[in-house]
Amino acid sequence: MIPSWTALSIPRVRNWGIWQPEVKQPVALLNAAQSGPSEEKLVVVIDDDEIMRLSCEQILGKVGYRVETFANGHDGIRRLKEIRPPLLVVDIKMPELDGFEVIRSVRQFDPDVAIVVITGYATIETAVDAMKAGAYDFLPKPFTPGELRMIIDRGLERWRLIKEAQRLRHEKEEVERRFITLVSHQLKSPLVAVKQYLDVMLYSLQGQLPEKAVEWVGRSQVRLGEMLTLIQDWLALSKIERGSWCDPAASTSLAPIVADIVQDQRQLPLAAALTIEVALAADLPPVCGDRVSLSMLVSNLVGNAIKYNRPGGSVSISSTHEDGWVKLVVRDTGIGIPQEYIPRLFQEFFRIKTEETQDIPGTGLGLVICKKIVTELGGSIEVSSQEGLGTTFLVHLPVAEMKKEAG
Amino acid sequence: MSESKTVLIIDDDRDFVTAIESLLQCSGYQVRSAFSGREGLHLARTLRPDLILLDVMMTERTEGFFMLQEARRIPELSQTPVIVISSIYADQPIFRVSPEAGWLPANLFLPKPVDPARLLAEVRRLTEVACPEISHATAGRSES
Repeated sequence: MIPSWTALSIPRVRNWGIWQPEVKQPVALLNAAQSGPSEEKLVVVIDDDEIMRLSCEQILGKVGYRVETFANGHDGIRRLKEIRPPLLVVDIKMPELDGFEVIRSVRQFDPDVAIVVITGYATIETAVDAMKAGAYDFLPKPFTPGELRMIIDRGLERWRLIKEAQRLRHEKEEVERRFITLVSHQLKSPLVAVKQYLDVMLYSLQGQLPEKAVEWVGRSQVRLGEMLTLIQDWLALSKIERGSWCDPAASTSLAPIVADIVQDQRQLPLAAALTIEVALAADLPPVCGDRVSLSMLVSNLVGNAIKYNRPGGSVSISSTHEDGWVKLVVRDTGIGIPQEYIPRLFQEFFRIKTEETQDIPGTGLGLVICKKIVTELGGSIEVSSQEGLGTTFLVHLPVAEMKKEAG
Repeated sequence: MSESKTVLIIDDDRDFVTAIESLLQCSGYQVRSAFSGREGLHLARTLRPDLILLDVMMTERTEGFFMLQEARRIPELSQTPVIVISSIYADQPIFRVSPEAGWLPANLFLPKPVDPARLLAEVRRLTEVACPEISHATAGRSES
């Protein structure tokens, strides 16, 4: 997804203060990031048997591990919260808190520590139960020093791999976030300045400019507008894909959204020669989704219906509901879509290039965005079309459960 | 117009300022400009403009936001009409946050780049009214 030129050095962007929705990070990752490089060859041993504790200390100490031992689960857990070691050795049968309870407790705050269970009561059932509770491995007593060292070394290796994977994922998200910040501000800024000059120029100086200049400034405005729209669409797509755009848990009514968008788009020059009709069922329930992404969805569909239409044509937006779904239909009497293009319609950057469509502006991302929004919200989108007669988009969105309307 | 109104533009993009300054001056407004929130606040206090054009995001994070909150605390500026402009506000209705939302005491939001005719119409509207009510301004409806 990220173009290869980001491999070049991305400038260190100071906090531009770009509004970014929060990317939720797992608590464990945040803690790991905050606590700095953790001591790697560190083992906590919890066993009520003093001899076992001393043995572990000796066996592992000899090969470079630092060992902290505890006689009961409570003390051990408290310490584990403080130091977050990579490894924990725990006995099953202990008087106060047994091994299973320790494991379950630890897993609540540390999903990554490699837990090795040791016990004199070695049965298959116990082993299975231990793994299910969250243990990494199982070592029946009595064990040789070599066996303990091997299991601990393997546990450490696994912990290292987990941490590396987390670090890489974190880095990837950082790169993506900086890319988005880069695109949204660094690229947009100069484009906005250039277009602003051209807009003011045409408005203020039109009478004084040669005809060719007026024409070419006009074309430049169009191309710049396309670039700005492309950046906007690309950003929206990135945010939808990262999961920070759509909110399927929200509930929103479609009626005001459709009304707003139709009123807005009615004013566009292309819409002047068209009839736009809206017929939404009066008792339409709210759907799953937030206002922002639903608006983007409707806006793209209505925009397309207007763009790919013909003078004297019409656009109709209707909606009904049944069986827990709201059906939204956007129909136009426009130029239609040749059958062979329909399978590719929802692909990134796909645009139909025919004589009829060559002057129609668009980024090729509108329908991808619609499809992703609809999918995130738990719905579906289909298209049917007849060349020369028109196109119909049918969207199904799940009805929101009875809760407070987001409006 | 018996006397020309003053507009203060606060934006760190000098090209943007140049273009808009020119547009407004050609329509008979007096224009002053500032390139940071701090400079803008200082100038607003001394100049008492009839309208402020403010970019919410300048060099420092939320510089524009803080400047506006600060400005509203100053009695002489609490009623000054403010148009907030920003490139993050796309030209779609849902992105226009209503001033009633309360978190930014502006009269109007406009997306960058601004449509010159639209800007002039809004500037005229907001400078002609004697004491525009900040909370009752409609969001983003242009006068035809």
